[in-house]
Amino acid sequence: MHSWNDQAPIYQQLADRLATQLLDGDPPEGEALPSVRALASQYLINPLTVSRALQALVDEGLLESRRGLGMYVRDGARVRLMRSEREHFLQDEWPRLREKLRRLGLRPEDLNWEDA
Amino acid sequence: MNTLIDAKHLSLRYGRKAALQDLTFTIPAGRVVGLLGHNGAGKTSLMKTLVGLKRPEGELRVLGLDPHTQRGQLLTSLCYIPDVAVLPRWARAGELIRLMEGLQPRFSADRARQLLKRTSVTESDRVRHLSKGMVTQLHLALVAAIDAKLMILDEPTLGLDVMSRKSFYEMLIDEWCDGERSVLISTHQVEEVESLLSDVMMLDEGRLVLNISLAEMDQRFVALSHDPDAAEAVAASHPLLRYRVQGRPAALFDGVAPDTIAHLGQRVRPSLVDLFMALTRKPEIQASTPESA
Repeated sequence: MHSWNDQAPIYQQLADRLATQLLDGDPPEGEALPSVRALASQYLINPLTVSRALQALVDEGLLESRRGLGMYVRDGARVRLMRSEREHFLQDEWPRLREKLRRLGLRPEDLNWEDA
Repeated sequence: MNTLIDAKHLSLRYGRKAALQDLTFTIPAGRVVGLLGHNGAGKTSLMKTLVGLKRPEGELRVLGLDPHTQRGQLLTSLCYIPDVAVLPRWARAGELIRLMEGLQPRFSADRARQLLKRTSVTESDRVRHLSKGMVTQLHLALVAAIDAKLMILDEPTLGLDVMSRKSFYEMLIDEWCDGERSVLISTHQVEEVESLLSDVMMLDEGRLVLNISLAEMDQRFVALSHDPDAAEAVAASHPLLRYRVQGRPAALFDGVAPDTIAHLGQRVRPSLVDLFMALTRKPEIQASTPESA
């Protein structure tokens, strides 16, 4: 069973997971997302909740609904997503990470910038 | 017909004890409604009333029918798993499938055999040789093979192990969530079923204390996770419940947290269990521990 945390509503957590996949090009721009029922089955979530997650991604300009066909990834979705993810990282995650690096006394040259 | 259950001012008494008090609600098609309540809160009484086993005061229509006077007709389109599932001990699983075929016009024997193959029960097994969990699996297979519009399930996962519960949840989502059918399910496995539900009804001592869709719930109830230092300020703004999220103190509010304290913490999702505790105020009864599979 998929685990959902207490940080955000379940629909929001599903929207975030789908957004992460979009960022990796899954599915690519212009392609269709799996149907609401397929997603409900995959994540064991009520279909109405899945629809709310998809609607949230529509509202963020990442998906568009094509009548009778389902949800499609909009052109430019990855660029838009990348921009908002970067903003999120710099505003929310980086200050915490920087704080931790300082506490541990780590400097840029101590970090391994190559792939393991 | 979009409304599957329409109840107005339902009350039920056992002698002097009120089991249900003035319940008014509807359940439309395409929903999975979780019915939560402590033991003795009235969940089973409500379910029995909906299937015509108890005669309430008030008005009740289920699938457009009066469950008490039109019970036979109602049962062709409804399936019900009572809290004590009893199957004849002498019967073999295969015999029960043939029996159901003769009794229930919307029952598919092929479907039942298919469902049974996913369990550890075989057609030649006798009920008396099955474990409690296996009897429940057999019962579920028999009931799920009925092409019904409404499922009323009283603790259907009781006694099932993690794998069997998971396959039950998969069936619920894959086959019963088709937008037409609705499911009313009572369970103590609140954390496990939370993501499957579209709506929640909470009963406390026979009263409906909450009847809400998950979408409304996300908007209406707010929880704030905060530092211990902020406890006094948070307590002063009258939260519904104070509890802990991953070790940090948290407070649950009906509506937005007051401006004065919103900055003291981080907004988190109030889980169904927390909300249930807050609205029924009996924290001594714990919900199940979540299992990960």
